[in-house]
Amino acid sequence: MATLKKSHITQYLLDPFASTAADAPDAFRYKGDWRIWGIPLLVGAIGLTSGLSGWLTDPHQFYFSYLTGWVFCLTIALGALYFVLIQHLTRARWSIVVRRMAEALLWTFPLLAVLGIPVLFGLHDLYHWTHADAVATDPILAGKTPYLNVPFFLVRLAVYFLVWSLLAYLLYRNSLAQDCTGDEDIPARQRKVSAWGLAVAALTTAFASYDLLMSLDPHWFSTIFGVYVFAGAFMSIHALLALCAMILQSMGNLRGIVTTEHYQDLGKLTFGFVVFWTYIAFSQYMLIWYGNIPEETLWYRHRLGHGWEVHSAVLLIGHFIVPFFLLLSRAVKRSRLLLGLICVWLLAMQWFDIHWLAAPVLHPDAATIHFLDVANWVGLFGIVLGVFMYRLVRHSLVPCRSPWLENSLHFENT
Amino acid sequence: MGHSTSHTTEAPLVTGNLSFHELTELVARHAEKKPPMIWYVAIGISSLMLLNLLVMIAYQVWNGVGVWGNNVPVGWGWPIVDFVFWVGIGHAGTLISAILFLFRQRWRTSINRAAEAMTIFAVICALLFPTIHVGRIWVIYWTLPIPNQMDMWPQFKSPLLWDVFAVSSYFIVSLIFWYVGLIPDLATLRDRARSFIRQRVLGIFSMGWTGSNRHWRNYEKAYLLLAGLATPLVLSVHSVVSFDFAVSIVPGWHTTIFPPYFVAGAIFSGFAMVVTLMVIARKVYGIEDLITLNHLEKMNIIILLTGSMVGFAYITELFIAWYSQVGYEQYAFINRVTGPYAWAYWIMMSCNLIAPQVFWFKRLRRNVPLMFIISILVNIGMWFERFVITVISLHRDYLPSSWGYFTPTWVDVMTFVGSFGLFLTLFLLFLRFVPMVALAEVKGVVPQADPHFYDRESS
Repeated sequence: MATLKKSHITQYLLDPFASTAADAPDAFRYKGDWRIWGIPLLVGAIGLTSGLSGWLTDPHQFYFSYLTGWVFCLTIALGALYFVLIQHLTRARWSIVVRRMAEALLWTFPLLAVLGIPVLFGLHDLYHWTHADAVATDPILAGKTPYLNVPFFLVRLAVYFLVWSLLAYLLYRNSLAQDCTGDEDIPARQRKVSAWGLAVAALTTAFASYDLLMSLDPHWFSTIFGVYVFAGAFMSIHALLALCAMILQSMGNLRGIVTTEHYQDLGKLTFGFVVFWTYIAFSQYMLIWYGNIPEETLWYRHRLGHGWEVHSAVLLIGHFIVPFFLLLSRAVKRSRLLLGLICVWLLAMQWFDIHWLAAPVLHPDAATIHFLDVANWVGLFGIVLGVFMYRLVRHSLVPCRSPWLENSLHFENT
Repeated sequence: MGHSTSHTTEAPLVTGNLSFHELTELVARHAEKKPPMIWYVAIGISSLMLLNLLVMIAYQVWNGVGVWGNNVPVGWGWPIVDFVFWVGIGHAGTLISAILFLFRQRWRTSINRAAEAMTIFAVICALLFPTIHVGRIWVIYWTLPIPNQMDMWPQFKSPLLWDVFAVSSYFIVSLIFWYVGLIPDLATLRDRARSFIRQRVLGIFSMGWTGSNRHWRNYEKAYLLLAGLATPLVLSVHSVVSFDFAVSIVPGWHTTIFPPYFVAGAIFSGFAMVVTLMVIARKVYGIEDLITLNHLEKMNIIILLTGSMVGFAYITELFIAWYSQVGYEQYAFINRVTGPYAWAYWIMMSCNLIAPQVFWFKRLRRNVPLMFIISILVNIGMWFERFVITVISLHRDYLPSSWGYFTPTWVDVMTFVGSFGLFLTLFLLFLRFVPMVALAEVKGVVPQADPHFYDRESS
């Protein structure tokens, strides 16, 4: 019986466990070459290099662009974390054949912690509350100092990443160990981790969203903001899982294992969370518009003028109306081509949403999408995807000894 | 791997290895035979409470809303608190029938019928309060957009008008959903009926259902579509109820987290009410094989989850109130925690946030007396949550010269007690005349429903 070994220390950040793909049943072994992770890494490296060049020319813009791309990757990783937690807690069986992809995404957190270092250098450019002179003349910012100060901010970020990485490690390790040993107690162990994990994840996500995004405009506040960020993240992960399955299948893997039925379910959940995101986004906007209290309204005023109103309209049409009507139909959810196109579109919209949250702080007077925005986004997402794919193909592509695998393989929508 | 079966086979949803006939007998006979003595006692008490409600409404309409404890800073007192409380109770029914159906959770089958009935009766109780809390009940039809000789229309920007549309459409859709689910079961009762009148009445209500293949195909489609429609409806209804508060500029009311937080609270209190009623009903009617401990445990997990969500919202509100650095917002929360109504705030906190946390432990989740107590506590806590939001935010806001204190009168209390009479009377009538478990659906989840069940028996 095989056991799960730790990988070499040099590889730890990429994949903490030695490859177990050799022990996987033939059907679940990756059939293909290095290109599946090499190409995204290459694209990511090119993107990030051109993105980092912006640090020399326009550091202010660079930091905002970099933060947007980095938070986008963070929401994808958080989405994966929530996905895995919820599958375990609900003892979901349909999703087992796609769960390994989400599990491989989990270990993105340590990588993101490393990729987050440039953000730390840019705190002064990003966050108005780091300016001592501004705080001194502004009683509101001064009042927030106990929470919004650099040392505490760094401690909080460290805590978030430690907690997320710990959860990721436990969930990933247990799942891979099950491939090796087939231990019958693993599902119960995973549920135990997920129970406290979900509570901790919810708290850390909310506070991370206040720290990284809401405090970009330190005068503004909204209690729903954490839920808003969660909604976008959770929508994106379903879209990404469907896309990853399609990419793997197009290269000859998982044939007949991930079926149209699974795509339909992923499409349903994507649809559901498109609607949930809209519900949260609309609630936040409508309540602030209706009350029209100056300190809250200003945030939306920035996003409804100087060209940003176009971005807001694109968000409404592209993040809700178009995917809503397209994903309503059963035929679309069961068509790989159409579902794939919508999923790509929605991932772009998720980035656009984060850009819409952050960029107006930097450019209140003119709406832009800067070249650096795109370069950093493509760069960071490429690196994250490449490393994720590398991890994925080092192990069985599905949890091959899960006791419920059979149910998932023969799953049908009723 | 001797013990592998315990990991890979789920506990059966229906215990006791009942055949289809035994199932039918178990459920249908309660709607046919004379009810137990305890039922008569219960309906006697609840009818008196209902009578008391009618007397209170008559008294209040005749004398004016001044018979309540509402005053000028606190224009919304108990009636609105009761309204939100009852609407919240109603939400679990739709969650159990529609949302769990969409998520393919087959354990819902034993409890969905009672939960949907509970929804309808709770919404009736809820609709009562916005109707009677107006000063001039006889012109309440002005809230409807009816062409009239004055050329006057309602104000579509008011969330109170959205309430009219939201709650009434919620009631209609819940009723249709419940009735559609009932048709096959009513046909079962019709086929078992002995007296001519009973046959005719059930024949009309079961609409000529014969259970043909084509019937079932259309029925399943309709049920899925209704579930798909009811799900966004249930979320939007309680969000609209939350807008009543959140669109205002009152500190403590104007906060963006209200829509999802009210929905979570509604599911929380609704499930607690389902547990309260089902713990009693399964005992009295001897249907422990249908509503098993596993069902109750799953409901307790949902209570724990939604209770923690509500607790998360409490913490978020407290944190953002401080973070906002808006003096009024900060004071609103300081006043909740330490003001003249601090007792209400701490009842809410301990009942909603602390009490359900016992469900982290499996042994306590499966302890029937304990879950009964917790479910009662949750309902008390959730009533106080609405009280805290409504009254504590109103009694002290921007101008200290307009600070007041709210004390309910006996009419407030008796009206609320009476609304329980209305709810329980309707619920007891439901238990008496309608199958309390969705027979046709439960038959689909028992082991015998598997086409190969009897092959396995013989081999």
